[in-house]
Amino acid sequence: METATAPAKITNVFTNRGTKELSLPKNERRLVMSYMYVAFISLFIGGLMGLLQVLVRSGSFELPWGINYYTILTVHGVILGLVLTSFFIIGFQNALMGKTVGYSKKQLNWAWIGFAVMTIGMISAAITVLLGKANVLYTFYAPLQAHPVFYIGITLVVVGSWINAFVNFRQFYVWKKNHPDEKSPLLAFMVVINMLMWCIATIGVASAMLAQFIPWSLGYKNTINVLLSRTLFWYFGHPLVYFWLLPAYMAWYAIIPKIIGGKIFSDTLARFSFILFLFFSIPVGLHHQLTEPGLDSTWKFIQVILTFMVVIPSLMTAFSLFATFEITGRKKGYGGLFGWLKHLPWKDVRFLAPFIGMLAFIPGGAGGIVNASYQINTLVHNTIWVTGHFHLTAATTVILTFFGIAYWLIPHLTGRKLTKSVNRLGIIQTILWTVGMLIMSTSMHIQGLIGGPRRSDYSDYGGTAQAAEWGAYQMAQAVGGTILFIAIILMVYIFIKMVFFSPKGEEEFPIAQEEDHAEFTPKWTENWKLWISITIVLILFAYTVPVMDVIQNAPPGSAPFDWPIGNS
Amino acid sequence: MTTEKKKQLESSPENEPNLKGTLISVSVVGIFILVTWFGVFMLFLSR
Ligand code: HEM
Ligand SMILES: [Cu+2]
Repeated sequence: METATAPAKITNVFTNRGTKELSLPKNERRLVMSYMYVAFISLFIGGLMGLLQVLVRSGSFELPWGINYYTILTVHGVILGLVLTSFFIIGFQNALMGKTVGYSKKQLNWAWIGFAVMTIGMISAAITVLLGKANVLYTFYAPLQAHPVFYIGITLVVVGSWINAFVNFRQFYVWKKNHPDEKSPLLAFMVVINMLMWCIATIGVASAMLAQFIPWSLGYKNTINVLLSRTLFWYFGHPLVYFWLLPAYMAWYAIIPKIIGGKIFSDTLARFSFILFLFFSIPVGLHHQLTEPGLDSTWKFIQVILTFMVVIPSLMTAFSLFATFEITGRKKGYGGLFGWLKHLPWKDVRFLAPFIGMLAFIPGGAGGIVNASYQINTLVHNTIWVTGHFHLTAATTVILTFFGIAYWLIPHLTGRKLTKSVNRLGIIQTILWTVGMLIMSTSMHIQGLIGGPRRSDYSDYGGTAQAAEWGAYQMAQAVGGTILFIAIILMVYIFIKMVFFSPKGEEEFPIAQEEDHAEFTPKWTENWKLWISITIVLILFAYTVPVMDVIQNAPPGSAPFDWPIGNS
Repeated sequence: MTTEKKKQLESSPENEPNLKGTLISVSVVGIFILVTWFGVFMLFLSR
């Protein structure tokens, strides 16, 4: 598919276009599938917890056997927010790397080691959560204290993901060395950006775990600097959401165009938006701590400004996607202002699911801008609005795009076909998800605006009038949540079908190419030293003073709380 | 830079695609964001 390269001349553009596709050997397919198994098992368990949550919160259901609401909420947040996402993402990214730059035998072995370390860590942490020894929610905020194995397990997950990241970096580096004058394959470039961001961000959790949580939970330290631990968490927590989102963007920029029969709109724009996401995803974590006492408001404000910078690559992405749709439609002869909408393959679930994901990101993104607006944040902070927000962004935009990927990736990996009937089930699944989420998320947003708290077991709050207003919305969430749970069952069924029962065959791994006359991508896009330096400078600028402040003027350390929730 | 520009122009002989629908679509997204934001802002002011 690669276009012939122009004779070597010193220019500041890469003269090759497009991506040469490799095929995925058996062992690589097995690696990716291992990640997928973990992801879909997590989806089922986490979805079940979600169902229990909405039922409990409707006030008409009580958990049996004395199970604590916060145990199931921790399972839900950890297994969906941390396990499902990171396993799906790393698996998917490994498939992209295998398809575009390839693995050596040694790299593949290391990738397996990464998977093993992640899985061992994940299972250890999961056991403590399921035993109710880690009811600390997925943010593990101190001074709530969990069993030490919970923290050690999460640290292992991070270490495993680092091993995987270094394999990806190595693959990329070797490819570049063997193709000195060529631009890297777009998808490999995007994977490297996402893993770079992940590695820099997870330094926050890793250091909080090693320096604070693990010694504290083992009893080597009596107290913990709560403010520091939260600041380190959110230094990681915001880039975490971009770690979820960027793989969805990979599919939007470089896979969806192929599915709709079009071309990549602009290779340079796609790369540049990823570079901007790298810059502006990390030095912004304080926007989750706007109501946190003990942090200087000047630095909160500075990080709010940096947060708003992310609007730029987000709108670049929106523009690029609309343009892809419009250009493709017009080429196929659909005229008029919006006639091009008609050409889109609405009946192809590989397109429909991610497309609804894109639509959900419009209210999701708008809500995010509200959340980040310093003063307005006080209106929604810690209300169920926030939960409504990230069930749009994470649990719809990201998850529906991942489902959209799964419909072709899983059959591709298992050597089967995406059949018409599975496609039809997939469309039903997508519609159920959309309807369920519309009901659940909208009622969460409204309930939040009238003060309903998030992370809250059912309570009538002593019969106050305000809490009485919330009841109807919690009922609506139970209805929406039940529809969502049915959608999850259907998705798990589809997964099993695609893995074990669909007819054998070759399913396409869709990778879009550039237009034949696309502009050449400038070489500055791969100035990695510059991108990493700018990222680090921005982080140092945004975080040095507040973190020094939190350490030097530390609040009194806190003893562990393991009751009423925590490790009890 | 200028030679690069020229080269790029030469390499894209097609004329600019018609992106009117895109312009309107992104504008609608922008307006939606503003309306949402101001809606919540009014609520903030009224409390
Ligand atoms: C059946 C589908 C789902 C239902 C019914 C559901 C329901 C809920 C509810 C009611 C809450 C808030 C509970 C509270 O604050 O007390 C919640 C929290 C959460 N959900 Fe879901 N959800 C579903 C799917 C998902 C998915 C697919 C994801 C992730 C990709 C997800 C991620 C989260 C996270 C991270 C939290 C926050 C937990 C916390 O505050 O500690 N959910 N969910
Ligand atoms: Cu954030």
